[in-house]
Amino acid sequence: MSKNMTPEKITQKDLHGAWFRWWWANEVPHAFDRYISPSLLLALMPLLRKLYKNDDDLREAYHRHLMFFNTQAIWGGGTITGIVASLEETRANQIANNEEVTVTHDLINNTKLGLMGALAGIGDAIDSGTVQYIFIAIALPWAQAGSPMGSLFPWIGFTLVTYLYGYYFTRNGYKLGRAAATELVSGKKMTAIIEGLSVLGLFMMGIIASSYVKVASVFTLNISGKEFVLQNILDGLLPGLLPFTVIMAIYFYFSKKGIKVTNAILGLTAVLGVLAWFNIL
Amino acid sequence: MELTVVQALLIALFVAAVQSRGLGYATLTMRFSPMMTGLVVGLVMGRVPEAMVITAGIQLVYMGVIAPGGSMPSEPAVATAIAVPVALLAKMEPYEAIAIAIPVGLLGGYLYQFRFFLNTFIIRLSDKFAEELNDKGLWFSIMGLPIIVSFALYVPVMFLALYYGAPFIAEFTAANASSQLFHVLSVVGGGLAAVGIALSVHVIGKKEYIVFFILAFFLAYVLKPLGVTMITYAVLGSVLAFIYVLVTRLSKD
Repeated sequence: MSKNMTPEKITQKDLHGAWFRWWWANEVPHAFDRYISPSLLLALMPLLRKLYKNDDDLREAYHRHLMFFNTQAIWGGGTITGIVASLEETRANQIANNEEVTVTHDLINNTKLGLMGALAGIGDAIDSGTVQYIFIAIALPWAQAGSPMGSLFPWIGFTLVTYLYGYYFTRNGYKLGRAAATELVSGKKMTAIIEGLSVLGLFMMGIIASSYVKVASVFTLNISGKEFVLQNILDGLLPGLLPFTVIMAIYFYFSKKGIKVTNAILGLTAVLGVLAWFNIL
Repeated sequence: MELTVVQALLIALFVAAVQSRGLGYATLTMRFSPMMTGLVVGLVMGRVPEAMVITAGIQLVYMGVIAPGGSMPSEPAVATAIAVPVALLAKMEPYEAIAIAIPVGLLGGYLYQFRFFLNTFIIRLSDKFAEELNDKGLWFSIMGLPIIVSFALYVPVMFLALYYGAPFIAEFTAANASSQLFHVLSVVGGGLAAVGIALSVHVIGKKEYIVFFILAFFLAYVLKPLGVTMITYAVLGSVLAFIYVLVTRLSKD
């Protein structure tokens, strides 16, 4: 073989590059079904290229980071970018050295899914909810006096401060991931950790699904002066019945027919669209 | 309103840039606070000091310091781009001007949803480029195309609203056919997230683990009125995962 198959080392510069690309892409490719996962792929692309010298492994890693992912940009995105970079590095080295691969595809994915919701909760409350308003409150009197500083100060200040501590989270996430990964390599604990993370990942996914998936009926019927509201009856049976049905229907579709995402999207769009047009949903 | 074509176009381009999120996280405070939009409108109209005073007033309305006496327009950047010229040209108070911007803010919110909808199809292109390991293609489908789409959505709407006036947009949003269209769009948008969720559930771990998903889903529905935070759920989920691992290990020994 002429090509050197050894993964290259991830440098501080690579990490900053990943953080910058994540920060920049962030909400740009936001899509309904997979949210902002493409931004994380864009962030990690050059790192993955340095790590996986085999095209099949690289392709698998690219697809891995196009799966459903959503979090807050700074606390969630910074930390997870760092952790995932270190996990991918450990995995690439294990593959290259023909060691047992303990950092599996599932482990990386479950780590992302387990962390993203909780970190987003912290990040939203602190960044958009608090830090932003501290800057605005400081600058408001300048704006009231007619000075452009009233606008420029909170914009530059908030953007700069969040950028800096987001990068700090990326670096710490990377260190944390490395420390965790070296301990994980010991093997025996591995299955337990993967199982635990799967449970946590699915649990958080259930929590997220309850607020992300919005399907409700607007159907009402007037029978001799009596209002008949379908959604109220459904809520009386089981709250969340409609979104749950939609998720499970697609889940079973994937189980039966394989993962055909485009078909699922087009089919769901058609069904929901028709039901909405006739004011059932 | 009496803005020139160039003025209306410049403001429209700025709003499109913010709503496309093309400047990264720097657009967060640009989208959710009226401050930067107000400054840009002031610069374009050559009346910065007055625009700043009006914008500060709008910011106070958004922060709840001044009660607007009615609903608040969504999409502060979009609404401010309409409200500041209105206030400047018609000599209105900030809280009156922002009320006029409500229908345009509403439309801006729908366009933001529509952007997600179109991005959902652009992701198929990203899947294809990922399969080909085409980095240039991925840059185009992840950054380039979504930004172009946002400009195509926001520039015409903002331009028309600014040049012909906000009532023009209000009539459009109120028209029957378009409101039915918006209804369909928001229903489809609300439901499509199910695809991503189902996909993730499908790929995580063993099949039997789905019970944890179901448990969390209904737990979150039942506890919704309590306003339980994500962090609390993460703690509960971790405890649950820990118990699960303990029990399975005990039964193995």
